[in-house]
Amino acid sequence: MLPYYHSYTNDMEVDLAFERPDNLELALDALKTRAFRVIAGGTDVFPAVQQGQLPSAFLDVTRIAGLGGITRGDGTTRIGAATTWTDIVRAELPAAFDGLKEAAREVGSVQIQNAGTIAGNLCNASPAADGVPPLLALDARVEIASAARGTRVLALSQFIQGVRKTTLAEDELVTAVLIPDQALGTRSAFEKLGSRRYLVISICMTAANILLDAQGRIAQARVAVGSCSAVAQRLPALEADLLGKRLQDVTVSTAHLSPLSPIDDVRGSGTYRLDAAQEQCKRAILRAGAV
Amino acid sequence: MAASAHQLRIDLTVNGTVHGIDIDPRTTLLDLLRETLDLTGTKKGCNHGQCGACTVHVNGKRVLACLTLAALCDGADVRTIEGVGTPEKLHPLQDAFIAHDGFQCGYCTSGQIMSALAALEEPWGPDDAAIKEAMSGNICRCGAYPNIVAAVQEVRKSAEGGRNA
Ligand SMILES: Cc1cc2nc3c(=O)[nH]c(=O)nc-3n(C[C@H](O)[C@H](O)[C@H](O)COP(=O)(O)OP(=O)(O)OC[C@H]3O[C@@H](n4cnc5c(N)ncnc54)[C@H](O)[C@@H]3O)c2cc1C
Ligand code: FES
Ligand code: FES
Repeated sequence: MLPYYHSYTNDMEVDLAFERPDNLELALDALKTRAFRVIAGGTDVFPAVQQGQLPSAFLDVTRIAGLGGITRGDGTTRIGAATTWTDIVRAELPAAFDGLKEAAREVGSVQIQNAGTIAGNLCNASPAADGVPPLLALDARVEIASAARGTRVLALSQFIQGVRKTTLAEDELVTAVLIPDQALGTRSAFEKLGSRRYLVISICMTAANILLDAQGRIAQARVAVGSCSAVAQRLPALEADLLGKRLQDVTVSTAHLSPLSPIDDVRGSGTYRLDAAQEQCKRAILRAGAV
Repeated sequence: MAASAHQLRIDLTVNGTVHGIDIDPRTTLLDLLRETLDLTGTKKGCNHGQCGACTVHVNGKRVLACLTLAALCDGADVRTIEGVGTPEKLHPLQDAFIAHDGFQCGYCTSGQIMSALAALEEPWGPDDAAIKEAMSGNICRCGAYPNIVAAVQEVRKSAEGGRNA
């Protein structure tokens, strides 16, 4: 016996299924028939199930036509569900997406970014998912499809409901992340704190989208913090206080952080996380605002 | 394409050789390479995506074989360390790893080399910081990092020199 080298045994009578549909209709039809584990890059599915038995039925979404890639038009940037982090890093996008690109460069390593997808990050619903704060700061919406009910679109903040919990039903797939066009001149930044520089799970991460008016006053601000609550949170009180301020007058108070409820865990204490969040908010806002 | 059986037939090209193989759909690319195709140059370090020892190229992109289902590679073109140079004629990057002492135990080295080969084709800047970021998914327990960066820099510079010549 070499249990370490042979990760999976197949001595049980299980009905294995592996579906690799090349169009959405086939994929959604398959989901009607039985429970599948949807798999895109597999970078979250694998570590999670590798310990024990892998699921017996997979549905690979990476070959579905139209599910990968970024398109712009009709006031929306549409990031296909199977778009990888590398695709996002390399895409030509307005400065408002810089924070998302910075986050993309922080997802694991380049090897992970080459396989891992944006929808996988959202569906996995980890509190430490680096994609979530920048997408919240971009007011992203999630497009979902099923054979029975067609397409629905909902705000990202409604899509993720808790730790590893989304509103996705068994027969549904995420088809795209939709981002409304940002006001011209909007810029953004992303800050990540881990226990080392690279390939690390976030202890705390913050994204800020900032628009300055002609006088250099903040005309629009969206700030979101992750890893400090079950689901990453926007900070509405901070955003409201930022309006009309010049960058040099920006302050972040503990009251601004009230939507956060960080826990103590192996990566850091709740107090440490709040400290980090306060500093990160300031850094992200100043960096996004700086010309 | 549907398969509802214990075995799934896949065709894939590894280092230029076409293989048609019946696999359990749950097999990882890493186990397929090492256990079925006897290509043991690709190493299993953590089996969880955290060390980079299993880095291979699939359709020209570097990925982690331990996190890749072999079934996802049906029709794919896979390149492993066995497809890079030979003991008689090393790839310039392999020469550079030797010249710069880019390893000690060598366990991480095939992953480092597959990663660096891909990184040299990717849009990274010329400075050490860019190479460190590009190579950050490859852990070296022996701590050969500065020498690995030096080896990659040597090959990058000579490729650049070649392009500018
Ligand atoms: C070593 C390592 C380091 C990592 N580091 C980071 C990090 O620093 N930051 C970070 O945020 N993440 C990190 N991750 C997590 C992971 O890489 C990302 O979350 C990635 O974006 C997941 O995408 P995927 O395509 O691989 O998802 P998969 O593993 O393929 O899927 C993840 C989940 O989403 C579901 N799913 C995927 N696509 C769809 C769809 N279209 N419709 C419905 N459901 C779908 C799957 O069923 C599954 O439940 C890391 C992972 C590893 C292994
Ligand atoms: S063995 Fe694949 S990353 Fe460690
Ligand atoms: S040379 Fe030993 S792990 Fe890198």
